[in-house]
Amino acid sequence: MTLDDLKPLFEKAHFIRAFEHEIAALSEAGDVPGLVHLCLGAELFEVALCANLEGPGDQVTGSHRSHGLALAMGADPVAVAAEILGRTGGLSEGLGGTQHLLAPEVGFLTSNGIVGGQVPLAAGAALSAKTLKTGGIGVAVMGDGATNQGAVFETMNLAVALKLPLLFVIENNGLGQSTSAHYASGGISPMARARGFGLAASHVEGGDITGCLKTVDRLVSWVRETGSPALVEASVPRLSGHYHGDEQLYRSAADSQPDPLEQFEDTLLRAGATATECHTIKTGAHAAAKAAVTAANQQADTSDEAVARWATRLGGAA
Amino acid sequence: MTRMSIRDALNRAHQDLMAADDTIVVIGEDIAGGAGVKGGAELGGVFGVTRGLGAKFGEGRVIDTPISEASFIGMATGAAMTGLKPIVELMFSDFIGVAFDQILNQAAKARFLANGRFDLPLVIRTTMGAGDSSAAMHSQSLYGVLAQIPGLMVACPSTPADAAGLLKAAVGSPDPVVLFEHKGLYGHEGDVADDLPAVPLGKGRLVTEGESATVVALGAMRHAAEAAVTSLEARGISIDLIDPRTIVPLDLTLIANSVKKTGHLVVVDEGTDFGGFADAVISAVARDHFGALKAAPVAVTPPHTPIPYGRAGEHAWLPHADTITAAILALLDMQETA
Repeated sequence: MTLDDLKPLFEKAHFIRAFEHEIAALSEAGDVPGLVHLCLGAELFEVALCANLEGPGDQVTGSHRSHGLALAMGADPVAVAAEILGRTGGLSEGLGGTQHLLAPEVGFLTSNGIVGGQVPLAAGAALSAKTLKTGGIGVAVMGDGATNQGAVFETMNLAVALKLPLLFVIENNGLGQSTSAHYASGGISPMARARGFGLAASHVEGGDITGCLKTVDRLVSWVRETGSPALVEASVPRLSGHYHGDEQLYRSAADSQPDPLEQFEDTLLRAGATATECHTIKTGAHAAAKAAVTAANQQADTSDEAVARWATRLGGAA
Repeated sequence: MTRMSIRDALNRAHQDLMAADDTIVVIGEDIAGGAGVKGGAELGGVFGVTRGLGAKFGEGRVIDTPISEASFIGMATGAAMTGLKPIVELMFSDFIGVAFDQILNQAAKARFLANGRFDLPLVIRTTMGAGDSSAAMHSQSLYGVLAQIPGLMVACPSTPADAAGLLKAAVGSPDPVVLFEHKGLYGHEGDVADDLPAVPLGKGRLVTEGESATVVALGAMRHAAEAAVTSLEARGISIDLIDPRTIVPLDLTLIANSVKKTGHLVVVDEGTDFGGFADAVISAVARDHFGALKAAPVAVTPPHTPIPYGRAGEHAWLPHADTITAAILALLDMQETA
């Protein structure tokens, strides 16, 4: 991986970071209808993951915390922001909102309001790819909180039993809302469980761009070539609350973790980038994110018209 | 025209559909049967509906699953979002409990949440119905529960032609469709046109035509009601018997036009007594056509209890032709004395 390969990923990761900060600011200003779950801390890993995927042949499903994933897969930032803001021009004209982002056109099949609910859906994308011989794979991205859900265990088994080209991705930020992942799983790691299901599995550190790219590439290639499922667990920090506005009284200062984007910048500097270059990339990404979110915020809320069309369509009477 | 059972009509419809469209896959437990077991014959599903499909279309398109309803119904939903047309067999509708998130939140809402950017050609075939002592967890008629969820189409065929035709319509529908097949009717025979024509969702059927009352019934209850109607003919009472065939969307026009003629409404429902299909029909008619009613509408339903096991208990629990006859007579008497 050369410096020139890494710079666009650095830019994209900073775009996502800035996008989330812009959304947070609009949330505080009262412009966002719902609670938003920001992906701060997971940007580097998500960018590395999606750099190895190609929609719409590959299809990713994600959790409630999926703004960054949708952007990393290439969804139009203005449409993503407009959806989060519940406005016209949103991915679904504001019918879905922050937790229900769908951009299957670019390979982001759906995010989800139900913890773990997105995981079986990715098995479906894998089944389609296998049956229709598209060469694509399904990717089920979830947090550690989802790893105790029955539907997730069932899908791990199903993917092995049916030999589905499905990559399970666990973003382990150590917290399911306020509950520690260690507590919630009795101290058993996702990796140990994955191996119990017979899944090829690897762990990556979410601040290690080179390691993330290498491991994801290896597992994605393996899933693609063998048609069999695999799992990657990424340790990522949760640099914000469960939702924006969460006071996090349950967290102590002691669990503060390094910021993967700072680690990414150190990697670039060590590889020969200059501080000025990094600064320029960041400034550009921040300006682009601000422009996209601002453009979305200028759109009107026409979700009442959008829902009216569905009321006619889905009414119980013929 | 060929005379065949509902089981055979459904099997023929699967064969026709799968031969015509490579993107149709069938998914469920034991639907080919004997997966991983050496030797032995194909099971074809516990009711034999999918028999022969595995041999004909192969294990890539007739997919036996682990007993794992949440994952395979979710997988089918995701597959329908990405280019396949899955027909899922959920062995008993009682099992929706273990898969409910994937039906309630995923399959039902996906098209809405995408604002219609994709179709969701997912069909879930499942079984319902009491009468064979399968008891509380293998007998429920849960169409009312699913009909309450926006985004799902729900149908309940009662004849071989309707079973095949509704399956065809369901596969062609942009919205997910749940077909409730009555276990007691798989052997029920009827005439079926050779090309198994599709039956449009939302179009009810006037089974018998009359003047005295409107009776709405579906699934096995349609046949019980038909027997009641026949017994009343001898007493000079004629009935509009309507089999709505689909619950969502519901052919309220057919029902309303009949009630405007008869002024009397009886709904027979094997689902639950509270907040179910019968209540929905009665509520819709009362709201929109109150002036046409000559007497309070009547719901003939089982009591609001789980389904009992013992033969006498189950017989007492289920509505029968004589229960329906009595309800119609009581309704008409009420009108005469009013």
